[in-house]
Amino acid sequence: MASLYFLHALGGSAREWDRVVAALSDDFDCIPLDLPGFGGSADAASDVTGLVDWFAAEVGRRQPQSWAVIGHSMGGKIATLAAARARGGDPSFAGLAAVVLLAASPPAPEPMAEDRRAKMIGWCAGGGIGTADAEAFIDANTAASLSGPDRAQAIADVERSGCAAWTAWLERGSREDWRSEAGIIALPALIVAGGEDGDLGVEAQRRLNLPHYRDARVEVVDGAAHLLPYERHAEVAALIRDHVAPAFARALPASFAALLASDRVSRRARAAMMDRHAAPDAAGTLSTAQRATLVALIETLLPGAVDAPDLARRIDASLAEGRGDGWRLADLPADALAWQWGLDTLEAQTLGFASASAARREEALRAIGEDSGEDGGGEALIERRHMRLWFAEARAEVARQWVALPATMARIGYDGFAVGGDDMPLPGYRLTAANTREPWQSPLGAPA
Amino acid sequence: MSGPKDPADVVIVGSGAGGAPLAARLAQAGLSVVVLEAGRAFSPLDHVPDELAADIYWMEERLSGGADPTAFGANNSGMGVGGSTLHWGAFCPRPDKRDLMLRSETGQGEDWPISHDELISYVDAVERFVGVSGPARYPWDADRRYELPAVARNAPAEAMARGCERLGITATDAPAALVSRDRVQPHWGRRHACINCGTCHQGCRTAAKASTDTTWLPLAVAHGAEVRAESRVIDIERDHAGRVTGVVYDRGGERLRQGCGALFLCAGGIETPRLLLNLGLANSSGQVGRNFMAHVATQVWGRFDAEMRMNRGYPSSLITEDMVRAENAGHAGGYLIQSLGVMPVTLAANLARGAGLWGAPLVAMINDYNRLGGIGINGECLPSEDNRLTLAEETDAFGLRKARINFSYGPNEQAIDLHARRTMTAIWEAAGARDILAVARSAHTIGTCRMGRDGDRAVVDADGRSFDIENLFVCDNSIFPSALAANPALTIMALSLRTADRFLASRG
Repeated sequence: MASLYFLHALGGSAREWDRVVAALSDDFDCIPLDLPGFGGSADAASDVTGLVDWFAAEVGRRQPQSWAVIGHSMGGKIATLAAARARGGDPSFAGLAAVVLLAASPPAPEPMAEDRRAKMIGWCAGGGIGTADAEAFIDANTAASLSGPDRAQAIADVERSGCAAWTAWLERGSREDWRSEAGIIALPALIVAGGEDGDLGVEAQRRLNLPHYRDARVEVVDGAAHLLPYERHAEVAALIRDHVAPAFARALPASFAALLASDRVSRRARAAMMDRHAAPDAAGTLSTAQRATLVALIETLLPGAVDAPDLARRIDASLAEGRGDGWRLADLPADALAWQWGLDTLEAQTLGFASASAARREEALRAIGEDSGEDGGGEALIERRHMRLWFAEARAEVARQWVALPATMARIGYDGFAVGGDDMPLPGYRLTAANTREPWQSPLGAPA
Repeated sequence: MSGPKDPADVVIVGSGAGGAPLAARLAQAGLSVVVLEAGRAFSPLDHVPDELAADIYWMEERLSGGADPTAFGANNSGMGVGGSTLHWGAFCPRPDKRDLMLRSETGQGEDWPISHDELISYVDAVERFVGVSGPARYPWDADRRYELPAVARNAPAEAMARGCERLGITATDAPAALVSRDRVQPHWGRRHACINCGTCHQGCRTAAKASTDTTWLPLAVAHGAEVRAESRVIDIERDHAGRVTGVVYDRGGERLRQGCGALFLCAGGIETPRLLLNLGLANSSGQVGRNFMAHVATQVWGRFDAEMRMNRGYPSSLITEDMVRAENAGHAGGYLIQSLGVMPVTLAANLARGAGLWGAPLVAMINDYNRLGGIGINGECLPSEDNRLTLAEETDAFGLRKARINFSYGPNEQAIDLHARRTMTAIWEAAGARDILAVARSAHTIGTCRMGRDGDRAVVDADGRSFDIENLFVCDNSIFPSALAANPALTIMALSLRTADRFLASRG
């Protein structure tokens, strides 16, 4: 079962997720955490590094193979920076598949009026937060006043917040600038904003969190402010479920994920493979029609072996980026133009390649591949020759990007990336003869 | 030792097999040496065993034309301190005596202006310095000895040994420029014994494999040479007499100048002639860029009943030289056969491009990756008027025109390809492979600034010195008059040492 880690807001605790967890716990292993100094845990003045280290230890303790993080407010900054560390190949965060941010504090210094910050720091002047201040805090962060036990619980959590943790976040953690470390993260992210929230409302989310994710969606919860897990628990649970389910569905097989997370794999290798496993950049250079032809081409080149629209996005993204392989055929134009031309020509020659039957598509590609280019003449001959050249390039590129996917490596039982971590000595392979496997590999006879 | 001088006695452009040994030898002789390398510096643990993430290749675009366009990038072109030795396969057969005299033997190709005995004396010096693992007895050269025992054979090597034995073909453990046990490299440190990880082409993470950054360059630096990474030479300055006075290079967007008494271009068979053509230098013969050669590098693949997991182990752990001169061959020269372990991304792209595989057969083949094994050749390529590097109209990020390389197999390459397909298919059948297929492929970048005795037919003389510019030298695979069946790096390093000796001798 995939795991969900929940990181609460300033002054909250694991309990703020009770109703959200109740809605999700049948399908996921839900792990709501108390941040250091909150929810009755030992008080500690942590900076952001300390908080992310603490989270790494929490995740590392359980070593989930496929998991998502849901970060609320203060917890959102930790969630994003955990995802950034995962991108760098940090083994503690291996297997992270998706991120959900709720009214999240961004990697940038959190927007907050200085007089409010000073006032909130002042609540701890007497060594603890009093009931009146806690009530004011909860009421200021909800669109409509919470009722009954929810409000009481939220207020009680603020009151039991450790003053070292509370003050450290307001004075330091929320002010730390982690934008460059966060960079751009490939994992799919859902960014949720309360329609009535203040400093961390939808405008701030779009401006400060969205740019850090390559594959992100912003959802606004109308009529709610900052305490979304209390104010809209059912809606929040549904949003989380809808976001993480497809990410988990494409998670790598457990044994492969465990190997990827192991110390047989270097950080660089792990980072490269996790980045490639994530969704590609949305940028592209192909038209909608060309993209459809490309999807059909991939389906025909790799029948049943790959998510064709996903691979088409990857190829389009690499064309847009101009990331070549060190050479191109002299008779063809630059890669992006050659692909546009090739796809257009394929579509036209086949009188609709994208909509053709599988048999018709195969026939069309065979005709291109086997064209000896002897008969005919003039423009038509050149076009056929160029199509033959482009088709060879297209085949190779589709095959290359397909096999480079960690999912394909898992499919074929390839483990050549797991030959050494970051420190000497490196393990490599002890056995090289046919029909031998080492204990760390799956047993001989088992599916690869 | 004092810092680099300006002008330095010598500037070397390129830190690979051509530039690094001579940098070491010239520095040892007391000359001030500056090596300019376009790529960045790596330490072994920086390398990443992932075919797309590995960043040790020259990935700037080249245009490949002709009837048999050759692939560049990860196929044959390196970038980084260490040049192409960062990714080379370390497969290091020696150049065959007959190959150096191909024209005398067959009337085709070219003779080398250097004797085999002399070249081999330098090969021997290279082998002793970098450490080569190989068999105790080399069947085609009774006197040859290797310092270190052969590395472990992998599954394709065992299959090839089986197939060759059944056909009466002699095969043995391949000479490999990597250390099969720990070995201390002077001025660098401990090179750890090969761990059979199979990722030679993505960069060796234990330094078992000899690359110049863990062998020759530390020796050079210990003797005062300076290696400047990320320094791209874009211009060559000359005085009124036409002698080179220095180079202009780009480092992080900044244009810098380094003066020199002599300049050695060691940037490989593409970048060396591209620079000369862009600058219009050293080409009174009209030979710069001509006679581009790539080895015929056909592969044969098949499925085995056994689980091969061919990505394990040193990829080319078996060799036969029996086909260097096959009986009744019908072609000049010949070829070496090696066993092949190839990583999956490269294999898939080669099957799709070079074997025309797609659809269900491609998917089935890749699904069976762990049961595949291959063998491949490195075959002679004759110099040809038709195969040529020229400048494209398109320019690179530095304003220099890109290289366009036209390459087509001639009748001799086609005959070698055909012979090799037949031979390797027979070996693979005898080894028990099924679903056997061949992949068309060529490898290495050779020729384009060839050496010779006649300044009308060659760019440099036998010492690597330009016929046109007295203090300009070329030392890399571009000076090869013919391709040789042997893989080039060992010969390039030997030529590099020889070039250094000749240069020192000429200074008196």
